[in-house]
Formats: sequence, structure tokens, C-alpha cells
Amino acid sequence: MAALRQIAFYGKGGIGKSTTSQNTLASMAYYFDKNIMIVGCDPKADSTRLILHEKAQNTILQLAAEMGTVEDLELEDALKPGAGIFSPEMPHGWINCTESGGPEPGVGCAGRGVITAINFLEEEGAYEAEGLDFVSYDVLGDVVCGGFAMPIREGKAQEIYIVMSGEMMAMYAANNISKGILKYANTGGVRLAGLICNARMTDFEYDLAWALARDLGTQMIHFVPRNNIVQRAEIRRMTVVEYSPKADQALEYKELARKIISNDMKIIPTPLEMDDLEALIMKYGLDEEADEDNIGKSEAEL
Amino acid sequence: MFILGFHFPADMGNTVPDAAVVAKLDEANVDATGINEIKMFTEYHGQTEELSYTNKDTFMFKALVHYVKTAETDYMIYTNRYQISELSKRLDSDDETMALCKKFDSMAHFKIVAA
Repeated sequence: MAALRQIAFYGKGGIGKSTTSQNTLASMAYYFDKNIMIVGCDPKADSTRLILHEKAQNTILQLAAEMGTVEDLELEDALKPGAGIFSPEMPHGWINCTESGGPEPGVGCAGRGVITAINFLEEEGAYEAEGLDFVSYDVLGDVVCGGFAMPIREGKAQEIYIVMSGEMMAMYAANNISKGILKYANTGGVRLAGLICNARMTDFEYDLAWALARDLGTQMIHFVPRNNIVQRAEIRRMTVVEYSPKADQALEYKELARKIISNDMKIIPTPLEMDDLEALIMKYGLDEEADEDNIGKSEAEL
Repeated sequence: MFILGFHFPADMGNTVPDAAVVAKLDEANVDATGINEIKMFTEYHGQTEELSYTNKDTFMFKALVHYVKTAETDYMIYTNRYQISELSKRLDSDDETMALCKKFDSMAHFKIVAA
């Protein structure tokens, strides 16, 4: 039996991290028969909704609050089998889902939910499920705060995939997350396994994402083009893979899944200084806007 | 690293030489007998365009034939298409190929068949 692989999808909020991760993991289960446990580590608890066909799963923190303490919680209350084609009864790989949850907005530390969830899952034996091939953490990571770095810090997630785009802030966040990985790489064994560009269709997006990956010492493992079918599937609370398995976009996710399964490039990243990041953007085509003489000038003045 | 769908071992680093990709294509030894033209169809903002490519002496032709023969679908995976274009810009030089590279760099979706 192959060793359990623990991967994580990090990325700035709103980048399409949960959509990308669920569609990719769905492909790994459906097309390649991999058995997966998803651990959602985002307070908005939307890391599993497309697999479960639900609005939002009850989180470990919510359930623990209802029960009184997390010690009163049973694994089957918090870990739900996927719906439809991801159910254990179906012929392909299965997906089990859990969400850590977090505090009300503006109150407390969201990272605590992540810590509580991982400890609970470990104590209840969730990582020892028969046939489990992958554990996947879906982590909000605009800033790699201590709590959100928990899957990295504790040596849980070994392979990190950063979901990003060609937009400045997404690239900034990707670089920042790389700094977090670097910090724990020697003590915990975590490695950067690649960038996934979830395209926003900005100018020179492929080239920018590729260049950032190269400078970080990693690869842009896949460029996911924009396609409205993703939204059509999401409205139905489904992945594209389940909604329309032969659709072009399903094949994009299938290819990404294939690459992740056979990926052997796991490196300690070399994050960029801010000036270098800006220089990279200037070099790859945005030189007119970023030229020192043009700063503060409107389009009409250029 | 993954280029044109081929896997290059991690110990090759994250900048694989073009020659290594060409060697992989050659190793794949795809039979191009009888293929004189590659047709592509692209749709963008509701407009469909048909493209024809016939220059058999190029890296582009070799890569497209390989794609047609090995992909399970007529849809061109975006990453592979962009990588074909990047490599072709370095390895080919004729006008027909450069014009196709420019088309491939767009965000449009492409279907591909051998004619």
C-alpha cells in the first residue's frame, strides 16, 4: 500500500482555492480512484460544499460548542462521506469531508479551529482510515499567521500547492506563503510542490505565474483557464467533474490531478524580496504602467 | 516538471532544456503517416474560427500531431497549448507558425483534429 500523502492548498482569500481544490480532488477520486479526506481550514467552511452538495458543513468547532466540549464529539458527527459519485458505495475513489470552522468575524483566532480540528481527527483515528491515499487541507493564507500555518508547522501537510493568479496581490500572497513554508521547511519537512494558476485572464498571466514559480524554485504545475461551467456547477453545489465529466474544464482538472498524483518536485522555496516581485511584474509586460515616469499618470496622460 | 504532458524528474530542476522536450517527443515516436494538415477550431465570445496548419517541417507540427494522437479528447489543454507555443517561438521561425503561436497565446479555447 502506498504511503499516505498529506497535501495542502494555500492561497489568498477569493482566489478560487476551494473551487480549485475540490475540483482537483474530485478528479483524483473519480478518474484515478484515489481515496481522500478533505480537512477544510477556512472559517467560512466552504471547502467541502461541492463534494457534499450542501450549503456549508457543520464544523468541528460548531459541533463541539453544541456538545459542550470537543471531547464529547464523535468522528462520525464531524467527518461526512461525500455525496453522489464520491460516496464510499460508488465504484471510484471516495472522499470524506470535515471542516474546522472558526470564530465569528472579528472575534478570536481562526487558527484555533484548525488546531482543534487536527488534534481531534488524530485522536479519533481519521488518518488511519482503510485505503486512505490523500489528506488535503484547504487553508486560507493571505497572511501565514501561526494558526493557519498549523498544517505546515506540525508537519501535517508535506506538499503545498499555492493557488494564485497573475494579479499583484495573488502573487504577493503566494510569495508570502512561500516565506511561511521556508520557515518550517527544515524542522517539519514541508515542501512547496507547485503553483496552480487559477486564471483571471489578466495580461501576460501565464508568463507572470510561470516566472514567479521559476524564481521561487518551483513549477507552475497547471494553468487553469477560466470557464463558466465552473460557476454553473457551483450553483448546483457540484464539482465540474460530477456535473459534466466530459466537459473541457473537467479535463483541465483531470490533467492537474494526474500531475499532482505523479509530482515529485517538492522543494524548499526561495521567496522574493518585494522589489524583486515588482521587477518581475515590470519585466513580464506591464512595464508601461510600472515605469517610474508613469507612476500617478492616468491612461489619458500616457 | 510537466511539459506537454511529459514528466521530467525533479532532479532536472525547474528549467528543462528545450532539447530534452524535443527528445521526449522523438522518443514518443508518434506515427504521423498520412497527416498533412492539422485543423483547429476556436470559439471566443461566440465567434467560431477555423484554423489550418500544414508546415510539416516544424516543431509545432510534430507537437500537434503528438497531441492529436495521444490526447483522449479533441480539446486542447491550455497549459500544453501555451507550452507548445512557447517552444515553437524558440524553435521555429516561419510566418505560418508564428501566426499560430499568436493565436495559441489567447485565452480562447481550442479543439484540434488531424485532417
